[in-house]
Amino acid sequence: MDIKKLAESLHPYERRVLPVLAERQYLPDLCSASGLKEVEVVRALQWLQGKKAVIVETAPKEIIVLDKNGERYVKEGLPERRFLEAIKDKEFPLNKIGEKAKLSTEELNICIGLLRQKSAVIILKDKELKVKVTDQGKRLMSSEFLEEKFLRRKFPREVASLSKEEKFVLEQLRKRKQIVRVDVEKIKKATLTDIGKKLIAMGVRDVNVVDTITSQVIQSGEWKNKSFRRYDISFDVPRIYCGKKQPYHVFLDWVRQKFTSLGFEEMGGPLVESDFWNMDALFMPQFHSARDIHDAYYVKEPKFGNLDERIVKRVQAAHEHGVNGSSGWKYDFDVERTHRQLLRTQGTACSARMLASKNLKIPGKYFGITRVFRHDVIDATHLPDFNQTEGIVVEEGLNFRHLVGLLKMFAREFAGAEEIRVVPGYFPFTEPSAELYAKHPQLGWIELGGAGIFRPEVVQPLLGKNISVLAWGLGIDRIGMLKLGIKDIRSLFSHDISVLRDTPVV
Amino acid sequence: MPTITFSFDDLCRLTGQKLDEKKLTYLLDCAKAELESKFTEEMSVKYNDTNQPYLWSVEGLARLFKGALGREKGIPKVKTEKILGRVFVDKRLAKIRPYIACFAATGRKIDDYLLKQLIQLQEKLAENFGRKRQKISVGLYPLQKVSFPLFFKGALPSEKFTPLDFHEPMTLRQVLDRHPKGREYGHIIQNSPVYPVFMDSKKEILSLAPVINSEQTGRVQVGDDAVLFDTTGMDEESVNLVANIFAHVFADRGFKIWPLAIEYGRRKVVTPSFENHKMKLREEDVDKLLGVRLKQSEIKAALERARCDYSAGQVTIPSYRNDIMHVVDVIEDVAIMYGYDNLEPLPLTTYTVGGTFPIQNFIDSWRDLWVGLGHQEVMSPVLSNKELLYDKMSVSDFGTVEILNPMSKTYSCVRTWILPVLLDVLSKNKHVDYPQKLFEEGVISIRGKDVQDEHHFAAASCHASASFTELKQAVDNVMRMSQLSYQIQECDVKCFVPGRAAEVIVNKKRVGFFGEIHPAVLEKFGMNLPVAGCEINLSALF
Repeated sequence: MDIKKLAESLHPYERRVLPVLAERQYLPDLCSASGLKEVEVVRALQWLQGKKAVIVETAPKEIIVLDKNGERYVKEGLPERRFLEAIKDKEFPLNKIGEKAKLSTEELNICIGLLRQKSAVIILKDKELKVKVTDQGKRLMSSEFLEEKFLRRKFPREVASLSKEEKFVLEQLRKRKQIVRVDVEKIKKATLTDIGKKLIAMGVRDVNVVDTITSQVIQSGEWKNKSFRRYDISFDVPRIYCGKKQPYHVFLDWVRQKFTSLGFEEMGGPLVESDFWNMDALFMPQFHSARDIHDAYYVKEPKFGNLDERIVKRVQAAHEHGVNGSSGWKYDFDVERTHRQLLRTQGTACSARMLASKNLKIPGKYFGITRVFRHDVIDATHLPDFNQTEGIVVEEGLNFRHLVGLLKMFAREFAGAEEIRVVPGYFPFTEPSAELYAKHPQLGWIELGGAGIFRPEVVQPLLGKNISVLAWGLGIDRIGMLKLGIKDIRSLFSHDISVLRDTPVV
Repeated sequence: MPTITFSFDDLCRLTGQKLDEKKLTYLLDCAKAELESKFTEEMSVKYNDTNQPYLWSVEGLARLFKGALGREKGIPKVKTEKILGRVFVDKRLAKIRPYIACFAATGRKIDDYLLKQLIQLQEKLAENFGRKRQKISVGLYPLQKVSFPLFFKGALPSEKFTPLDFHEPMTLRQVLDRHPKGREYGHIIQNSPVYPVFMDSKKEILSLAPVINSEQTGRVQVGDDAVLFDTTGMDEESVNLVANIFAHVFADRGFKIWPLAIEYGRRKVVTPSFENHKMKLREEDVDKLLGVRLKQSEIKAALERARCDYSAGQVTIPSYRNDIMHVVDVIEDVAIMYGYDNLEPLPLTTYTVGGTFPIQNFIDSWRDLWVGLGHQEVMSPVLSNKELLYDKMSVSDFGTVEILNPMSKTYSCVRTWILPVLLDVLSKNKHVDYPQKLFEEGVISIRGKDVQDEHHFAAASCHASASFTELKQAVDNVMRMSQLSYQIQECDVKCFVPGRAAEVIVNKKRVGFFGEIHPAVLEKFGMNLPVAGCEINLSALF
């Protein structure tokens, strides 16, 4: 950027800090000289650095300051000096040195340790303990201690400026109590670059610049004689998050829209369902192994629900001795049990309700996206409740080939698959029954769902007559998970807001 | 779903040809089964159809495969020997365990593998088809230890015998109490005045049905070449079926089958019955269901591959099958053997109008509006727990559907409102950038006299200055955009700060509420930023 544009892009803070930089470098000085708050100067320096007008260093500085005892020793002399002075003439009883040299017990102990280490004193054992200065001690006394020399200097001092010898002394002193302290200070220091100097030379104190465009600026027309401050457009801005629909819900919206576009009408049913609609109406015998209490959630209250008893009687007959030429399951149907309430375990319950509904249209095509519940341990492939997609096509004269045609259409519409395999399957309520596999463009062969033609024992009691009802269920969650790029089914109901925010919309 | 394990070599030997994986997959499709294990010498197969017990053995599978491959046609013929003896059934068992079917099988040595296969079939039949031995149970005995005639009779609980794996005689009652099988299955007969026992002419108890065989006379061992089979149960059709299934298994293995005469007082039957069922099947029935006009000969060929017979519009189903209730079941067999792949797809041509529930558009318009207000949609399980719904929200239960047999405490009831779920979400996202604004739309269930499902809508806003005003502005905006006029009334729901919550009234009915969440509630969620939220019953608005 040329220097003129650069000058135009200076923020008022920068304009006030720049001239000051010609003489000062450290942040506190810059603040006082510019009259800005520290945070304002820091921002100005940041921006100026971005413009390569200054170099800002924030390297930590180790500063030595005199501590409480250090200040005292500078005045009163080091304890070891006082110790030696007190006993330099003769052997002296240990327990009286403290008093004479005005040393605390702690200081006394340090002195003894220190001086013995330097062989400056020896301890004599007589009736009482006595201390004597050695020749070495006397030699030491005759000149200034290294520590004394160190403390004589002016503080605060930077650690970086110390000689090797001084550094050694510093370490020794730091081991002792409150003599010196090393503080780490982070003082920002800014140095002008050539660009910075040029900017100053241009006169950045220019007042003919419009900063924020306010209503007042516009109305007064003052902008007409001024230039606008240029912004640094590359500057990072804080992120914001728009409101968004939940990704899995969006997928289900797509599925719903797809079905309606294919001429299917939506059907549903209650979450709390009876054994009757959930299983009995679907010709699943009451002794069926999949009807164990361990496979469904039964509800505490109300334990039994209300049913249309005329339909119950017809279903009972189908179970006990069959309808439409069927032999039936040949057992005693438990009428109380059929009223028992549970949380719906399969969306097919909604198909059964639809067949029995007076709103049923023939011909008619129906779909349901239904929440169902299974008594499973929750893991990467099991949720406590999840959505099933299924439905029926009711029309006189439909046959298994229409069912295959329907499945082929589903595979194409929902999985983008042109190739399908339909193999024999088993559901208590359909005959023939089939499993649908589709060759998904990314996943390869996947199990896409199950289908069949409802048994006469299902249709006749519910509808009053036996006509062709194609029934199907699609495992669209697999496709949903692929579309959403997730592997753990629990993520469908993710409660992680950052995940929800960051999931792209497409 | 039953699963069986067997040797692949054995399957090929019984089928009469070496199979590759592709062929095996096709044949298993015909049996509505799939490979549970890898394609290895010892393999496991899982059955999706719980209704075809005749396939739950390697012999049964091979029998179907031979048909499907065209190696054998129609119903397999089993040659039987003369009636070996008689079994007298005690009238007193009529309400306890009325029926028995028996036969003897001789002439082949039982090796370790075959013994395991027989036990596997016995267990699958008794557990799955026999509903844990309640409906039927099965016993096998070394034939040379048994002397005819036999008796299936009621014995007093005080009578004694030595059950399998025990060495001392004990009373029948004690067997129920002490033997592991007694404890598992004893409840079936426990309260009967007499217990059903199978006994020979020397008054030796062979077994206590349906619990355990005798240690002395009821243990078939490797090396035996003659066995007595019995199955007892609650209905004659089922015991006959199981006897027929087992007799075919032994026959497939080359055993000679010796029937027995069962005498129920004056009524005498011979088992195995080998009684095949017959059913009418017309070409137009096939056409109607499958959409192909097959010739009689084609139907016959397909059914013979399924091991049925067909002539003059009548299909004969082998005695070991019980899965044919209606002609549609037979037609499925035709379809499977004809090949699903050979049934060309037909398009649906009838015009129907698609559509969603009328409320769906209303729901979606609310979702759009709240997205416009900057809220992120979330979706949650419908299952929840009372601690979250009430305790943490400082409100009392207002009608909950609770689960009798919950899997975990976290998911032990159906949610009755959604706002607590949103607070839960907020409490788990304290590390994420604020402001956090959420909403969820979904079904809830309220238990009054009956259970009622409602579409609810909840929204929450959490940031340093979240307030009553913010939610009031949002709710007002959405209500106006939905062309709904409403009134505001003071709300005393305890999760809100008193005086900072409002009920939304439409047509004099409360349809929801909004307000500032009480800090006492926030504290329980571990939240330290203010939250304002709303809960609206969309079903009441539509």
